[in-house]
Amino acid sequence: MAPLNPYTYIQCPCSDSASLGRPSDATSPTSAEADDEDNTFDPRAPRANFSLYPLEYLLYCEDCHQIRCPRCIAEEIATYFCPSCLFEVPSSNLKSEGNRCTRSCFQCPICIGPLSVTSIETPPSDPNLLAPDRAATQHSTYSLICSYCNWSSTEIGIQFDKPNSIHAQLAKIRNGGASRLTAKERKERRKELSHRGGEAAVAAAAAAAAASETSGGQDMDLETQFANLKLFYNSQLADPNAGDNGFSSLGDLGFSSPSSLSRIMNLYTGGKLHDPRAKSKLGAMREAITADEGLLEPDLDESSLISQLHRSDFLDTASSTQVCSQPPNLGEPHLHGAARFNSSLRPAPYLLRTKRSKRCPVCRHIISKPEAKVQTTRFRIRLVAGSYIPSISIRRLNLPGSNGPGAPAILGDLLEPLKPVHFLLTFKNPIFESLKVTLGAPAKTPGRFPSKVTVLCPQFDIDANTDVWDEALKDNDRESSGRSRRRAGTESQFQVEVGKIWERGRNWVSIVVEVVPASLKLEQGQDLLKEDEDVLEIPMFVRIEWEVENGGDDATTGSGRDKDQKEKRELAYWCVLGLGRIKQG
Amino acid sequence: MSSKRHSILPAVSAGPKPPVHFSSSITIADSALLTGTNLITISSESVIHPRAKLDSLAGRITIGRRCVVHERTMIGAIGTSGKVTETAVTLGDYVTVEVAASIEAGNTIIGEGTTVGVGSKIGAGAVIGKHCTLTPHTEIPAGEVIPDFTVMYSNGMRRVDKRGVADLKNKGQARQIDVLRRMIPSNPAKFT
Ligand SMILES: [Zn+2]
Ligand SMILES: [Zn+2]
Ligand SMILES: [Zn+2]
Ligand SMILES: [Zn+2]
Repeated sequence: MAPLNPYTYIQCPCSDSASLGRPSDATSPTSAEADDEDNTFDPRAPRANFSLYPLEYLLYCEDCHQIRCPRCIAEEIATYFCPSCLFEVPSSNLKSEGNRCTRSCFQCPICIGPLSVTSIETPPSDPNLLAPDRAATQHSTYSLICSYCNWSSTEIGIQFDKPNSIHAQLAKIRNGGASRLTAKERKERRKELSHRGGEAAVAAAAAAAAASETSGGQDMDLETQFANLKLFYNSQLADPNAGDNGFSSLGDLGFSSPSSLSRIMNLYTGGKLHDPRAKSKLGAMREAITADEGLLEPDLDESSLISQLHRSDFLDTASSTQVCSQPPNLGEPHLHGAARFNSSLRPAPYLLRTKRSKRCPVCRHIISKPEAKVQTTRFRIRLVAGSYIPSISIRRLNLPGSNGPGAPAILGDLLEPLKPVHFLLTFKNPIFESLKVTLGAPAKTPGRFPSKVTVLCPQFDIDANTDVWDEALKDNDRESSGRSRRRAGTESQFQVEVGKIWERGRNWVSIVVEVVPASLKLEQGQDLLKEDEDVLEIPMFVRIEWEVENGGDDATTGSGRDKDQKEKRELAYWCVLGLGRIKQG
Repeated sequence: MSSKRHSILPAVSAGPKPPVHFSSSITIADSALLTGTNLITISSESVIHPRAKLDSLAGRITIGRRCVVHERTMIGAIGTSGKVTETAVTLGDYVTVEVAASIEAGNTIIGEGTTVGVGSKIGAGAVIGKHCTLTPHTEIPAGEVIPDFTVMYSNGMRRVDKRGVADLKNKGQARQIDVLRRMIPSNPAKFT
């Protein structure tokens, strides 16, 4: 089993009110806590998982004088940027271009490695059909290459004419090298079709449409289909003859009624199609029946895909993560029967990242704000809890009396059941005022295996975090005033005394906690040991008090200092000390 | 750090000096380590970087033409079996063994044009096909046979390289070797 490093997690006070406000079932330990104020916080309660944080994760609101955790913070996005080229993307672009980098930053679709643009040197003896004109212009084509796994966009038949603006080029190319139809081309193609249709008889037109369905209809991409359908329905809405085909009695209710259709279209296109004239026209209209009207018959013949699957390996198919990381591609063929082979994956432009500033949800003050420039990692404002509340570090204490003269115990060692162990908790004061600390811990840890806990010195003061040099000058006074430090090297000479601090430094104090770990022996009928149930965790209530000079606020800075009035502040929270694993059996 | 290295170096080079067969056009750094009892063959224009280690204790080592063996590589490491075979490791032509990769001895064959990525480990008796790419930190179990043009990922995934640029890659390797020959002072006389 991996040795356990001691840890200190702090419970954000925001979870207290949450548990109070919500009625929970009677068996849950948190509900018991809500009923009875004296009850201790149980670090093993399921809900505790969501409220415990290491000190480093916590922020502090200077106006509310309260700890703020990632759960009780309002985030605001300050900057969008590409993690690859570190280019800032204005949020207006985001709406039109999407949340991916539109420069030439791409990720390998297979292994997520960054892709780089490389020129393709055509080998002299290229069997490719296009070889003659490509050989004439050397270095004229480019591809994206993954330097990690050697994936190349040529594998999916994508090559580029220019080494820049790859994103725009890629958007125009479909897998296999065929170019995506532009809106203009689509219009021209449609014109051609309708022209043909007008000349021929109705039957001939239907036959032509059927033919184009099998050849052209199948490679109709999503975009083309949508455009065709949109055009078709628009023409239906505008057509005055559409109403008179006998279904007008159904009124406005059917699928095919123009008004319900325009309502649906409004949902998708944001009201552009809203036509007040359409409302007056009632009645049904026909559905799309040809490919150029947007009808796409599902291709139920999947035999070629199945045989491809037979021929390929499991590893040739794309994993769901690979498929999910693919950007939406409107140029791709219809989803029906879409294969999920690695060979159909396209280079994925990098997803943009954000820099966020954080606000206190109560007073709306900003408590964390990064520098707007993408390249800097500095913060303009960052009120981390570590600079307001004392940090607690844990060290195992070796006393000759209790642990025996054997080898000194090290942190991470298993704890012997029923044998008293001592831990040294060091509280370090980060603020410039002296702190008064009061600790409260239950005599027995909650849970199935209660260990006995005794905090030998539950109340003490920590000196202010003053300047190191001031401290050096003051040092002599202190020695004379009797607050001498204990030397770390000679700790075995000292006895643990109740009510006395163990060691004191410039802005820190060490105290001793005695623990008698529980025996993990299971009695008959007891469930097996759950995961991490052997970890000895003690809940501890920390209350800190300090005084600030009144008028520390901006408005009365000058006068406040003159009056020398002190204002009392206090902060109280639960924390959990993870001390180690108890030996089993 | 550097003082530590100095203390290790003499101990290693104190091992048996293996018989070697070098082509006259190879580049081998002075600080490369060649140990063992069996023949080490290095063919024309191959480059052995400083501190690359070739150990022929468990059999013959053959390095093909225009190979690049990078720093801190271990070729011919005696595997867990400790078996001695006639040929320990055979590298085909145009093979690149990147930094800190290790290839165990025991009839292990690396095919032509294959790149063994940074920190990869190849088990004893593995046969890697031609023009394969082993991405960094790939581990090939002993005895595994990898077909030609395979890309091995460190998470065990594989893919077939369909680029068909083997010739180009070889050309690139030749160009790289041209540069390396100018950068690495060669001292084959030390090993013969
Ligand atoms: Zn606040
Ligand atoms: Zn919170
Ligand atoms: Zn970018
Ligand atoms: Zn890749």
